Amino acid sequence: MDTLSEMLAMGDMMDRVKALRVPADALTWHRFSGSLLLVLLVLLFLSGAFMAFYYSPAPGAAYDSVDFALYTVPFGDVIRGVHYYGWNIFLIVLGLHLVRAFIVGAYKTPRQLMWVSGILTLLLIPALIITGDLLPWDQNGFWTTQVRISIIASVPVVGDFIVRLIQGGPLTGIVALTRFYVLHILFLPTLLIILIVIHFHFLKVRGLSEPLFKKDSRSKNISFFPQLVNRWLLLFLGVTLVLGVISWYWPAPLGDPADPTDSTFVPRPEWWVLFLNQLVTVFKGSLTVIGSVIIPGGLVVLLLALPFLDTSPDRHPARRKKVLLVAVVVAIILLGLSIMSYVEHFNGNHP
Amino acid sequence: MSRKAILSIIICLMLISSGMFMGADKVSGAAKQTVTAAKVKSAPTGLDDPAWQKAKAVEVPFEGKEKFAGKKTAVITKAVYTDDGIYFKFDWKDATKSVTKGAWKFDGQKWSHQKGNEDRISILFEIERIDKFATKGCAVVCHVPAGKTAKDGKFGTTSAAEKGDLWHWKAARSDPAGFADDTWLTQISEEKGGRKSDAGKGGDQKNMTADKSKPMYMPAPGKKPAAGDVLLVAHVVEIKDYTGFKAGDTLTYRMPKMPEGSRADIKAISRHAGGGWSVILFRKLDTGHDDDVAFNPRKKFNFAMALFDDSGDEDSYDSEVLTLQFAR
Repeated sequence: MDTLSEMLAMGDMMDRVKALRVPADALTWHRFSGSLLLVLLVLLFLSGAFMAFYYSPAPGAAYDSVDFALYTVPFGDVIRGVHYYGWNIFLIVLGLHLVRAFIVGAYKTPRQLMWVSGILTLLLIPALIITGDLLPWDQNGFWTTQVRISIIASVPVVGDFIVRLIQGGPLTGIVALTRFYVLHILFLPTLLIILIVIHFHFLKVRGLSEPLFKKDSRSKNISFFPQLVNRWLLLFLGVTLVLGVISWYWPAPLGDPADPTDSTFVPRPEWWVLFLNQLVTVFKGSLTVIGSVIIPGGLVVLLLALPFLDTSPDRHPARRKKVLLVAVVVAIILLGLSIMSYVEHFNGNHP
Repeated sequence: MSRKAILSIIICLMLISSGMFMGADKVSGAAKQTVTAAKVKSAPTGLDDPAWQKAKAVEVPFEGKEKFAGKKTAVITKAVYTDDGIYFKFDWKDATKSVTKGAWKFDGQKWSHQKGNEDRISILFEIERIDKFATKGCAVVCHVPAGKTAKDGKFGTTSAAEKGDLWHWKAARSDPAGFADDTWLTQISEEKGGRKSDAGKGGDQKNMTADKSKPMYMPAPGKKPAAGDVLLVAHVVEIKDYTGFKAGDTLTYRMPKMPEGSRADIKAISRHAGGGWSVILFRKLDTGHDDDVAFNPRKKFNFAMALFDDSGDEDSYDSEVLTLQFAR
């Protein structure tokens, strides 16, 4: 190892890595969501790269190329399953990661920009899911994209422009598929990596937030390499195994090939977008902009501005009851909207 | 209870509830009937095999066309599979067993064809994806030229890259031999449709003399018509003396051949009883032949069916397109 690092002229860097110490609770059972996100991200990049080897971004060939990768390439459907479940779990864990940061007040000074970079990452994931959903060119992906595009088009002034920009024209065809593909595998991942690098930069400079309950634990340190890296590799193996088993027994769905002439197909919203869907349903006609832009946009602004609005130094939840109460009320409203949307779309009341 | 334990429970509950939503997302899409093939350890050996109890029955609606226009019927469909084979069971109401298919009848002086066709069921799968078959079904492979009737229609795909696997069970022409006719579908040409027989031998042979006035063959000594009705090519001898026939005698006109090669892939067992047909069709999951769909139990397949009640190709009952999936 030493000889190799010398040959590569990386001796100094290796010494710095070996000397790096991190808090002992940097990756423990009660503080693992950040590491889990990194594991999922690596799995998503690897599984995505596998699928890109076989994928052909043209409407006449996209579905068949995905079908080939799934059912002709050994374990292709398992790898796609890892990608499919990986994104969903990534979104859930990222949400939990931010909820935890919110509850323990980790967004407060001096970690405001860590919080902001986390929120921006959260906003980027739906963009990756939306662009990825169209790629298999199946019925669900195609018609779900039509619904999303119609919602984007309803945004005043810029809606049509954005639709033409991402779609390359009025219809979802080969140009749209190519643009979604390029966004999905190039621009959005690059942006994601930049945001994560920024997040890690602040993590290194500002450090992990102090535990609320165990005052003495931060005095203990472990080595980054090999102790923390080994823990992370163990987590990586465990998550890979679990996702692999889930994907083997419950393969990721691939619907029928997209048929743009089949207007009978009714797409149903995914779990993470249920509340947004309900907002669009509640605010109809000229009020659509309230549900599609003003309320979601207001929530995003509120989340981004949180560290600058709540500037008190207190981190303990018991001393931040007002902020927590507002968050609980917002969460209950979003959950209620999601349940309403679920009932409407999945119990047959929706046309 | 410690804080750690409470936190663990909360996280687990959140993950489980999220998982419920993720699971619900899978049911999205338009309503399309799905036949789920149940996994069985040993292959069903007959129509009453207990293995069929493992399969969920799906009542598939059919709508009539041409002479059956406005009429409806249904086929109860089941499917099971083993490590290497797939088995379908179809039950449908049909008061009359039709296997005549123009059989000869002697009136004491001359031979003539009896009126009557045969009952059939056909199933179309995709070998190579047929554009819009998943949403439109058989409609995309039935091409009726403008201004013509369904009788002039051609059955086939619009490009050579699209290939269908057509299983065709015929009560008179294939079932007596214990098979369904294994055919495939390719691009139609200007002259003819795209229906092709699988590689090998099979089909049927017309039982008639060169002048088409009378039958040429009769049962060989010791051989009886299969299923009590139909003569097989393998069981006949040439008629040397027609004087032995008496008025009212009948002989098969379309005699099934024993299929060979890829054409012999789909075996059949049938019974007409209680005012309806029960038919089992079965073959290997993957025959290894280019003219057959290779069933991969991890994948879903689209298929559509047509039913013929003592009728020709244009007079049928058609199903919507369905999905075949394999239970684990």
